[in-house]
Amino acid sequence: MASSLKVTVWSVGLFLLSQMWAGCAQNAAERTAFDPKLAGSSDQIVLAIGGEREEGFDPTLGWGRYGSPLFQSTLLRRDENLEIVNDLATGYTVSQDGLTWTVTLRKDAVFSDGKPVTAADVAYTFNQAARSGGLVDLTALKEAVAIDTHTVELRLQKPQSTFVNRLITLGIVPQHAHGPDYARKPIGSGPYRLVQWDEGQQLIVEANPLYYGQTPGIRRLVFLFLEEDAAFAAARAGQVHVVSVPQSLAKQTVEGMKLHAIPSVDNRGLMFPFPPKTGATTPKGYPIGNDVTSDLAIRKAVNFAIDRQALVDGVLEGYGSPAYGPVSGLPWEEPTAKIEDNNPDLARQILAEGGWSDKDGDGVVEKNGLRAEFTVLYPANDSIRQALALAVAEMLRPVGIRVNVEGKSWDDITPLMHSNVVLFGWGSHDPTEVYNLYHSKAAQGGFFNAGYYANPFVDRMLDLAMEAPSEAEAIPFWRAAQWDGKQGFTAKGDAAWAWLVNLDHTYFVHECLDIGQPQVQPHGHGWPITANITRWKWTCN
Amino acid sequence: MDVQLRSVLLFLAYKLTRLGLLLAAVAVLTFALLSFSPVDPVQAYVGADMLQISPAQRDLIAQRWGLDQPMLLRFGNWLGQMVQGNWGTSMVFNQPVVQVIQQRFELSLPLLAIAWLLSGFLGVGLGVLAAAFQGTWVDRGIRLYAYTLASSPPFWVALLLLIAFSVELGLTPICCAAPPGALAEEVTFWQRLHHLLLPAFTLTFIGVANITLHTRQKLIDVLHSNYVLFARAQGESLAGILWYHGLRNILLPALTLQFASFGELFGGSVLVEQVFAYPGLGQATVQAALRSDVPLLVGIVFFSALFVYAGNTLADLSYQIVDPRIRLGGRIG
Repeated sequence: MASSLKVTVWSVGLFLLSQMWAGCAQNAAERTAFDPKLAGSSDQIVLAIGGEREEGFDPTLGWGRYGSPLFQSTLLRRDENLEIVNDLATGYTVSQDGLTWTVTLRKDAVFSDGKPVTAADVAYTFNQAARSGGLVDLTALKEAVAIDTHTVELRLQKPQSTFVNRLITLGIVPQHAHGPDYARKPIGSGPYRLVQWDEGQQLIVEANPLYYGQTPGIRRLVFLFLEEDAAFAAARAGQVHVVSVPQSLAKQTVEGMKLHAIPSVDNRGLMFPFPPKTGATTPKGYPIGNDVTSDLAIRKAVNFAIDRQALVDGVLEGYGSPAYGPVSGLPWEEPTAKIEDNNPDLARQILAEGGWSDKDGDGVVEKNGLRAEFTVLYPANDSIRQALALAVAEMLRPVGIRVNVEGKSWDDITPLMHSNVVLFGWGSHDPTEVYNLYHSKAAQGGFFNAGYYANPFVDRMLDLAMEAPSEAEAIPFWRAAQWDGKQGFTAKGDAAWAWLVNLDHTYFVHECLDIGQPQVQPHGHGWPITANITRWKWTCN
Repeated sequence: MDVQLRSVLLFLAYKLTRLGLLLAAVAVLTFALLSFSPVDPVQAYVGADMLQISPAQRDLIAQRWGLDQPMLLRFGNWLGQMVQGNWGTSMVFNQPVVQVIQQRFELSLPLLAIAWLLSGFLGVGLGVLAAAFQGTWVDRGIRLYAYTLASSPPFWVALLLLIAFSVELGLTPICCAAPPGALAEEVTFWQRLHHLLLPAFTLTFIGVANITLHTRQKLIDVLHSNYVLFARAQGESLAGILWYHGLRNILLPALTLQFASFGELFGGSVLVEQVFAYPGLGQATVQAALRSDVPLLVGIVFFSALFVYAGNTLADLSYQIVDPRIRLGGRIG
């Protein structure tokens, strides 16, 4: 009895196994049959570069701030050298007082539904974006008014040279087709139009036949929204043609793909609390100030002692560059602000001149009984920042500065960030960021100028830069704020931060795909690579 | 007849009242918990753009979602709208909550259904086998499997299976609910099933363990009872004992367990969908929680409460169908 049942068990098991194998064989066949369809060509490529916006594709809520808005086009754009060039606009002028921006539009632009792009659409887009409470900051805009069909006036509350970045990043939406559904059914004058969006999975777009600009080199794009590991696995399986990978994976090789390490201003640096601890607090009651880092000698010594190139080679596997300020590689960078770092002797000398010495022989310098010791906080889930913080702690030990490294969540860092050193990462094509990092008025208890840095000279330069009528005229002031030969916020001046490195953004790109000359990329690895996507070409047959 | 109708109505009224109380409790609890959450929804929304967004714009964002109001007022507003059938708008998806849940649940439903049916049948089957051959290698093998699976975290099992079947063997897709690049109308039923397979099996493998162990224990109790001893003494075969005594006695607890597993299944799917990048309701839950999307999170919690409650009610109803004693009791009462 028992033995016959055993036989049944076996046979059932065998049956199940054979079923499984049959299923597998079938699946494998299906997979191989499926692959050719996904092969790259000028007709279609597959990208896994992240960047899904769950909110949809509405520029008035913030879609398209980085890279290409695909479906819409912008008044202006930045070319590969980050110079500002016309797109939808044929030109713009700014009034003497800097309050009125007059933009003229090209006449041949139509939306993908065939209706022409008019000044009314542009005015609507700006007014709507200012109202809608999304990720487009148009708080400087008073109103946008269409003067005639192809001229629009943007009236500001106060002069703002960085307002040009809104003209560069805000995609124009059609007034007649813009509503609550728009984010999922975008219509625009951009190079591509939406075919299908499977939320959480993929986005399929096709070249827009009505686009006024040069026809894109690749007709159809499939964006897969995969986790890093899955994306890399898909690339190894030959299923994607562009994949963004973390620096740690860049050392690997993928058959048929080439590594592109694109320079970026995606920087990492140590923010120092600037004032001493006086018991002052932020509006939310968080303490401000740190007695150790309020000493200029400490901040300068840290800046000179660090070996930035070693951080690039050791932590970033060589995929990065040393950072001496927050705007590396951008047109408004001050080149003379660069310092000769990896100089522990100079650091020791600075400390000694500043009155710091190691009297008790414990390896840590003191001044008036205060030990040169501080804590560096970093977000605990970021392994690169952790490695940077630990490496910096090691580099500072020989000069007599003790660094304690602590990983925490952002929610835990927030109350501590005005009184402790924090390893931040920023980087933007919009110099407003410089203003927000260093202007004393920006310090209001948030991420803006979290260290409460204050220098009247820097404030004046930043104000002048903001009030300048154009970006070109603002650049001298942005640069002077960094270092004008006598003062500034960079290491030679107040050393308000110790900038460490800029990350290279690493991508594997199919050998047959020519992605042209990419821009220096902002903070955010992935989508920015699409900035010049219309000029990508498939070079094989 | 009248008596029966009255008892059915009473049953319904009782169930509905309890459901109402449950939902009210769930809503209050969710809002209370979220008001203690350290996640700042505006910060979560702004993300890495912190330095591009001025404090004035932050205020505007908070206004747009009503985040500038105290939690109690927000709860009041939400309740008022909920009563009118408006579940609110999701902050993460910029879409009505009902639409988000509907879209996501359509993808999750086949996953849950397959896993639920398979784990039920497999679980009871394995449990019966193990109990029938208690102490033999069959039993030990099944127990080893069940204990291992019951004590391993679902996401870890999912990762292992993903590595084995998708990456190494290449038998199943790495992600998603449909092949990349395919238009919705081109995707065949088989392709959908193919993409569903591994997540569904993962949920099944995990769900089986619990049901197997319970079934086994229950059946062993039955097999050690006096009436089974009597049946054996009369010369009844093992198969006969299982069929006439075993299955009938374990059916009720098995059904209870099966319907009660709605909740566990739902929880498991949150983790499994995350691993397989399967864009179902589970993934939406994770995002809603991480970004403090109160309307969506409450909506999903509501929906899952309904789902689990429906499961338990189905179990209650099925007793009456399966067990004549309960049916009889109802009539007399």
